[in-house]
Amino acid sequence: MTTTSEGPTGSAALASLIALGRDGARSPTRAELDQGLNALYSRIAADRVRRRALARWSLVGAAAVVATLLVLQVVSLSGRRAATPEPPALAYEIEGGRVLEGGYLRESGHAGIRLKFNEGSRFQFLPGTRGRLRAVDRDGARLAIENGTASFEVTPSSDRRWLVEVGPFLVTVKGTVFTVSWDPSSERFELSLRRGQVEVSGPVSGGSLALRAGQRVVISLARGETLITEEQPEEVVGGAAPPAAASVASSGAAGPTASAAVAPSASARGAGARRWADAIASGQWDRVLEDVERAGLAATLDSASSEELFALADAARYRRRPDLARAALLAARRRFPGSPRALDAVFLLGRVEESGGGGAARAVAWYDEYLTRAPAGPYAAEALGRKMTVITELHGSAAARPLAEEYLRRFPKGSYAGPARALLRAP
Amino acid sequence: MRASTLARRSQTPLSLVGGGGRPDTSDGELARGLIAGESWAIAETWQRFAPMVIMMAERCLGSKSEAEDVAQEVFYRVFRKAKTLRDPDALRSFVYSFGVRALRTELRRRKVRSWLLLDRPELRAEGAHRTPDVESRDLLRRFHVLLDRLTPRDRLVFVLRRMESMTVEEIATRTELSVSTVKRSMGHATERLSRWIEADPELSGLLDGRRWGR
Repeated sequence: MTTTSEGPTGSAALASLIALGRDGARSPTRAELDQGLNALYSRIAADRVRRRALARWSLVGAAAVVATLLVLQVVSLSGRRAATPEPPALAYEIEGGRVLEGGYLRESGHAGIRLKFNEGSRFQFLPGTRGRLRAVDRDGARLAIENGTASFEVTPSSDRRWLVEVGPFLVTVKGTVFTVSWDPSSERFELSLRRGQVEVSGPVSGGSLALRAGQRVVISLARGETLITEEQPEEVVGGAAPPAAASVASSGAAGPTASAAVAPSASARGAGARRWADAIASGQWDRVLEDVERAGLAATLDSASSEELFALADAARYRRRPDLARAALLAARRRFPGSPRALDAVFLLGRVEESGGGGAARAVAWYDEYLTRAPAGPYAAEALGRKMTVITELHGSAAARPLAEEYLRRFPKGSYAGPARALLRAP
Repeated sequence: MRASTLARRSQTPLSLVGGGGRPDTSDGELARGLIAGESWAIAETWQRFAPMVIMMAERCLGSKSEAEDVAQEVFYRVFRKAKTLRDPDALRSFVYSFGVRALRTELRRRKVRSWLLLDRPELRAEGAHRTPDVESRDLLRRFHVLLDRLTPRDRLVFVLRRMESMTVEEIATRTELSVSTVKRSMGHATERLSRWIEADPELSGLLDGRRWGR
């Protein structure tokens, strides 16, 4: 380590990391800046509205402010009525979560978040998806997906404008059914359009992409690649197909890139051809993920064998894709409900949530389910030990002591016996 | 299934919305526009200074999305407090000060969350930077996990000095610390990071694998 008048400058390794950190930060694109500015405008406007509301209640200014607002309202209404009838105000209800300050959508269970608007539009965030409700007003709504997958069924209307920010992309929609996902770690955007039309703006060549029903676009920023695939649109297929949100919810296992329109590829689905277990053993995790990408995630989840689903879950976990690992394990649990591996999936879902997915509370729920359904199962000691650890982290030692006692009673020589005794000794 | 596939390379960023600002104005004129509540000044201030704030926050926090959130907070406050700016020509410095203050708050909040075991730095750093290869991302993730172990003050000072190339005096002014405290923080941070890197054979291995060197 070298030293200057300011003190030590650190090792060469530290200097390398500093250079990497400095050069790794990329200046935002024009599109990102524009999105940020729009968000800022929304916040400033909301702040102004809030301040106005406060001012209305002040004793001195109440009469003047109310009168001004009334006059402005009358003028505004008469002006608008002369042109076009005004759409009713948008209202929504949320299931499976709540909206925190800043519009952050906080999931409360394991089933994702559903938003239902009074004019009929429905959105579903799949389990583990992170997003925000940026703005809802008379003209429409603006949402953001930071990570994961969401399905949209937007009621057609010429009066409303729906905008969905998906990573660095902006999806503009009038009325349509589509599923969209964004994975920031691999910088991968995917949109499957089942009905209607959307426009995708963002870091894509040629300005923007106008997609029609039946098209699926996959954009990999890392590879600088845009892939558009044409499939059977819902209109052509005909019949009363369920909306995207409903189909996703019913599958219960749709992953981050779930695409209802993707059909399995026979070549990619050849039994035993993938030898994923071998690929995992030799550390070729990306090979598994590439196979899935080629065949389509929805098709893989519906057709892969139990072992393949577990291999996919392993590859996804090693590549830090908790959303994908979760989807594979949920599919294994759904499709092979009576098998011992389904119980393994329950335990592994807990590990996924704990180490990178939806959080400690969800992990505890999975561990509880495993312990209830397989109290003497191969992962029982591990599940109880992990639960004890997570409860300690969440609620402190006192809350975890009963678990420590239970652990020592049931597994006195287990790998968590040491921490359990330490918990009981702690003041 | 009938399928046809199109593939093409994309490099060109897309402009979604017109700027609406006035890029030819000086910082002083811009500040006066802000104080007067002009809408063009809001757009121009954002376009001119947001990249600087976002990149500084990304380097400090290791997360692009958190950096964007910090930038939103910074500019929201800048616009609300514009009238308190005494010297309009010092607008850049004014914005920078808000940025540093917001980062300090965010780092403290994050530290508290880590004490409460609500924060997972190894996940937050995932995908934080737009580096081209997996190895670089692994390195950065590990680096930010180490940075998370520093105190908020040491970390902020370290990033401002070594990644933002600010002088010790500038850091002292922005962070409202004395010069000697800034130097002491730099020393602590450098010494600890070097020690932790040396004690992490996997990290050293990754660095060797990339043939990094000075």
